[in-house]
Amino acid sequence: MALDPNDEILQDLLVSSREILEALDKQLVELEQRPDDKELLNAVFRGFHTIKGGASFLALNSLVAICHRGEDVFNLLRRGERVVTPQLMDVVLRVLDSVNEMFVHLNNGVEPPPADPALLAQLEALAKDGPAPPPAPVATPAVAAAPAVPTAKDAGTSGDITDAEFESLLDALASGDTTPQKPAAPAATSAAPAEKKPDTGEISDAEFEALLDQLQGGNSPAATPAAAAPAPTKTPQAAPTPTPVTAAPAPVETRSRAAGPSEAAASASTAETSVRVDTQRLDEIMNMVGELVLVRNRLTNLHAGMTDERLTKAIGDLHMVTTDLQVAVMKTRMQPIKKVYGKFPRVVRDIARTLNKEINLELRGEDTEVDKNLVEMLNDPLVHLVRNSCDHGIEMPEARVAAGKPRAGTVLLTAEQAGDHILLTISDDGAGMDADVLRRKAVEKGMMDVEQAARMTGQECYNLIFLPGFSTKAQISDISGRGVGMDVVRTKISSLNGSVEIDSELGKGSRILIRMPLTLAIMPALMVVVDKQIFALPLASVAEILDMDLTTTNVVDGQLVVLVRDKAMPLFYLQHWLAAGQAIRPIPENGHVVVAQVGSQRVGLVVDQLIGQEEAVIKPLGSRLQGTPGLAGATITGDGRIALILDLPTLIRHYARRNYREVA
Amino acid sequence: MSVRVLIVDDSGFFRRRLTEIFAADPGIQVVGTAANGQEAVDQVPHLKPDVITMDIEMPVMDGITAVRRIMAIRPTPILMFSSLTTEGATATFDALEAGAADYLPKRLEDIAADRNVAIRELISRVRLLATRSTRPAPRPQAEALVRELVRAPAGRAGAAGHYRILTIGASTGGPVALQQVLMALPKDFPLPILLIQHMPGTFTGPFAQRLNQMCKITVKEAVDGDVLTSGQALLAPGGKQMLLEQRAGQVLVRIQRPEPEQNYKPSVDVTFNAVARVFPGKALALVLTGMGADGREGARQLKQGGSTVWAQDEKTCVVYGMPAAVAEAGLADQVLPLASIGPGIAHEVGAWIS
Repeated sequence: MALDPNDEILQDLLVSSREILEALDKQLVELEQRPDDKELLNAVFRGFHTIKGGASFLALNSLVAICHRGEDVFNLLRRGERVVTPQLMDVVLRVLDSVNEMFVHLNNGVEPPPADPALLAQLEALAKDGPAPPPAPVATPAVAAAPAVPTAKDAGTSGDITDAEFESLLDALASGDTTPQKPAAPAATSAAPAEKKPDTGEISDAEFEALLDQLQGGNSPAATPAAAAPAPTKTPQAAPTPTPVTAAPAPVETRSRAAGPSEAAASASTAETSVRVDTQRLDEIMNMVGELVLVRNRLTNLHAGMTDERLTKAIGDLHMVTTDLQVAVMKTRMQPIKKVYGKFPRVVRDIARTLNKEINLELRGEDTEVDKNLVEMLNDPLVHLVRNSCDHGIEMPEARVAAGKPRAGTVLLTAEQAGDHILLTISDDGAGMDADVLRRKAVEKGMMDVEQAARMTGQECYNLIFLPGFSTKAQISDISGRGVGMDVVRTKISSLNGSVEIDSELGKGSRILIRMPLTLAIMPALMVVVDKQIFALPLASVAEILDMDLTTTNVVDGQLVVLVRDKAMPLFYLQHWLAAGQAIRPIPENGHVVVAQVGSQRVGLVVDQLIGQEEAVIKPLGSRLQGTPGLAGATITGDGRIALILDLPTLIRHYARRNYREVA
Repeated sequence: MSVRVLIVDDSGFFRRRLTEIFAADPGIQVVGTAANGQEAVDQVPHLKPDVITMDIEMPVMDGITAVRRIMAIRPTPILMFSSLTTEGATATFDALEAGAADYLPKRLEDIAADRNVAIRELISRVRLLATRSTRPAPRPQAEALVRELVRAPAGRAGAAGHYRILTIGASTGGPVALQQVLMALPKDFPLPILLIQHMPGTFTGPFAQRLNQMCKITVKEAVDGDVLTSGQALLAPGGKQMLLEQRAGQVLVRIQRPEPEQNYKPSVDVTFNAVARVFPGKALALVLTGMGADGREGARQLKQGGSTVWAQDEKTCVVYGMPAAVAEAGLADQVLPLASIGPGIAHEVGAWIS
């Protein structure tokens, strides 16, 4: 039966159930730690009960059936007539997965099919006061994966990454084609039957473009094929549902409570104080705000030559109002990072159970708000990083005890807002990384020679793991270790104008720091001129600007470097990359150097002219430019010209790698 | 003036649905919503709702506790929303005992197959409950009443031992009323008892068990073929009809599927009629609190055969419907407050309160 996805009641059910499902996810994992917590058992019971109630209101019988049985099981549990066992948890977690799948169907406007009868039967058996049923077959695949390991290992570690491969991988990432990953993929799949979906977790430039198209209203004809692609992956979170609705009950209740006895009688209704808005409409508003920002920039630019005070005042006011409007609209699109963090207790729990490790997950700053699209796009990279921390970072309980650490490792996820940025960290108290091992590996893989490797600082070594094909895990597991993941994570994060870096201490643990802009639609940029063309450099990547004597450069390992505060920094002329084919002009004696911060590295970029800072409204690139490495989009400058927005990390990786591979 | 309703449910989804349903009725005004029992208790004193709809499963404070608290601070008719499970039955009876006036299944489909009919039913229940602004007066001292009854002329039918059967019909408010009446009866009560309480099929079993635990007499849900036995009360199963059949000097209970035109399952009329046929002039019949007029026609048959009919009085009824129908038709030999009924029966049939 097809359901009307615009039906208010269905939407209401979807929104209210999503919160419950997220809570259930967390509660179930907590339950494994505190199986006797009556309050927790009650809460889980109520979760199933409430979803069942809503589903039965809409006569969604398959959903009612499974929730009803889940409720029955927890009713026994909360009355102490049955105890929580790992087998029971496996079944219950699969029930939750099944319910989540049903909601995916509902989101698509389709009535969900009945749940797996075997699962229902298991549940029913659990709901009867008998002995527990035979363990569910979910826990076994980890063992089954063992025989496949040798092949997987070969596939994963023998491959020295050649330039050609690297080249094609980059191209593939840029164009959205995944073929170069195929050598690794079959091995990984055979080794990982338990994994629900291959965790490719990548985002291509094409996808990013598609996102931008969405932000801009998706009118560009070139964008349509690409825009279609990311849609299915987004469905679970990206249903057209508004965030403010979640706050609905509270205001209503506060109001009615605040009303005095007589006023209460007068208030004729308990009208909801929030309104449901399609995200598409929010995107349109954001787009229009973008246009307004452009007009303002243009006006400011025109005004630059005039001295009319009243005009100055008016433009100043316009500036303020536009900024406020921009902030206000951005806020409507904000969602707590909880949306992503909320699923990690389950992820960590499953990994710990598969690997027989003991891992505690700590979450901090879950209420930090991030642009809705960003929340969704961060999901895959974060999942990958957390899996890595659990798999590579945290040691086996025995090893931890031997090292004088508590048996259970801790993975800490934090989120906080710092200015116009969001800082996310993933830290673990595991084994940490050995810089020397990384150096050796880099040399083995032919990425650099021994001397180069020796010169790298510890931090630089750690960040090697973000290079394609650089997996240090000797054995490939189904959790992580395919050597493409970290590279993809970095590519994805930098495509969102963010940056990622890692710090580690051998024996103590590792810490990954991700910086993300607050929004994807408008970003502050440094406008520069290279060979008469204007380019926008995301301010997030710009560390400082120097005016320097360009004759004092040296060449080290074939790479031009310049000394800044007694530290050698690689130096590149942007015109060589962005104005290729033009006659190379003689190098001026003095030049503007923009110091770009990419991960833990600093790179100097010589530009012809500095214009200043501007709010760049990101516009998607046309089909001909789409996928060009190093370009994040385009924007319209204050004087009405078009400027390309550079994606500095990708740009540098793409062009600089021949001379300076270790730049992260 | 419209009925002021407070909706208590931890599910925002349900609060909004109920608000929509009530908002569509001009006679009902939703004056507030609460997400758990505590919020409801906090809001009741100043919102002064006429009726409260209450969920049972809620965080912070469950519905049963909330009913108890609300009845203590500001007695208000409360309509419980129950799930039709054994578990739901127990919780519902606890809520009714705590003072809730009535209950409805939480699933609209369980109220009526047709959603619009279900919504109408829900609205009419709320409006009806609103007509009762307070709960029955606190029960008078039972012994005083017994003395009063002892002084009063005993049933016209004459001496104790005349009766062969006791039958009681009830609806809204019935579970608590029945409990109170039956608890007053002694273990060696000399008559078989037939109970008809309007209730869904999943509830009658747990209800019978509950009564059995609380009362000195034996109470069980009637099964087809049960033999009438003194001191044993048989509760008509929900969704069915309870009839009687004489066979070989014994009287058997027959449980049958309801006819399509029968609104009430079980129906008081159906069982009363059966009693009137099998025990002409030898039955003591009671009509307790409840909505509608089920029992009136059965009482008429009983009266015509010379049996005795009592009705609960208006003051102590949660809903003065069925007893009113009987009394207004001139079929009630006595109209009694709830607290007097149990001792009154014991006295009437010559059983002494132990």
